[in-house]
Amino acid sequence: MAMPESIPAPLIIDTYKELFRAERNGARRKEPLGWIISVPDTHQKTVLAALDKERDVKVLTCSTEDEANGVAAGLWMAGEPVIVMIQHAGLYASVNTLRGIAIDGRVPIFYMIGLLSREADKDPLESKHSMVRWCEPLLDVFGVPHARLEGPDDVKLIPEYYRMSRARRGPAALLVGLATS
Amino acid sequence: MEIETPMQTTAMKPEDVLKVIAANRGTAICIPTMTTSPSWRTIAPDDLSIGCVGFMGGASTLGLGLALGCPDRRVIVFDGDGSLCMQLGSLPTIAGSGARNLTHLLFRNNVYHTSGAQGTPGGEGMDWVMMAKGAGYKDAFAVRSLEELEEYLPAILTGEGPIFVELHTGLAEKTPMTDRGGVPFPQQVETMRTRLQA
Repeated sequence: MAMPESIPAPLIIDTYKELFRAERNGARRKEPLGWIISVPDTHQKTVLAALDKERDVKVLTCSTEDEANGVAAGLWMAGEPVIVMIQHAGLYASVNTLRGIAIDGRVPIFYMIGLLSREADKDPLESKHSMVRWCEPLLDVFGVPHARLEGPDDVKLIPEYYRMSRARRGPAALLVGLATS
Repeated sequence: MEIETPMQTTAMKPEDVLKVIAANRGTAICIPTMTTSPSWRTIAPDDLSIGCVGFMGGASTLGLGLALGCPDRRVIVFDGDGSLCMQLGSLPTIAGSGARNLTHLLFRNNVYHTSGAQGTPGGEGMDWVMMAKGAGYKDAFAVRSLEELEEYLPAILTGEGPIFVELHTGLAEKTPMTDRGGVPFPQQVETMRTRLQA
């Protein structure tokens, strides 16, 4: 197994902004460029910290991941570009809302999910931590397409999975393998 | 058997509240949930509403997303006290968002009517207005009669939000269990998105 690498926060944010710009192309509303709906995640804290300094991208912190799903759904209905950033524990906490809104409701929601405590030298499926180990199987049970962000080369998956969620009218997720830098 | 609560004898009928809102909402998006959903379908059968059933507690933040995405349009959430108990954290989330066009109506009856009228945590002792104010809502107040509702209507429909209104209501005539049906949620979602993009 290739060792995962940490992804620099600016690379992720530039990818978000490029994606949002493409989504906004031709739209009546131009500001903000896009929305990040988050519940704090240790694994993606450098991205969240850098986003706080971004004027073009609006960040809304929610109390729970259930709420993040609801806000993202409303924004999508209004035609706004939106990404949800949470951690794996939050995915477990919000399964009913994932089912009710994103799956049964056929609302596209794209998730960036941090795999806190993922061991760099182990496949997540072999992690000693249940929170890491069960994340992909849980997504599989619900039929949520997912992939791993294992290094800088994988940021191309962000627009791919974002657009996949829109095209399939449902959820799609990327799992952030190591803490961002 | 009809279920009675202490509030039922003096409280507003939720259907009467909904009729007043329907008659005055203008172009506002409305988000009913649980026991307000069946009645709203017949009182306001339009494509500017989304009935939330199946993810209890989610109406307030779905409404928040719509409010943030449509800053020039009023969004009115018809929440329930049982539902809000399930997503109590939405109070600071909404307050912190600063959504100026969001009105959060709470249809308070102190029970989980849909599932058999079990008492809500805290029951009559809950001070929802204080909770909303404490969370940071721009304004929060209680309405106990249709006369008060008429009086506060301008603030409810046009005041700077987020606004929280605790409506002292009795039990609805219908629940999602006694009156199933209506347009499926995914279809409501698609219709709303199409309407807002037009």
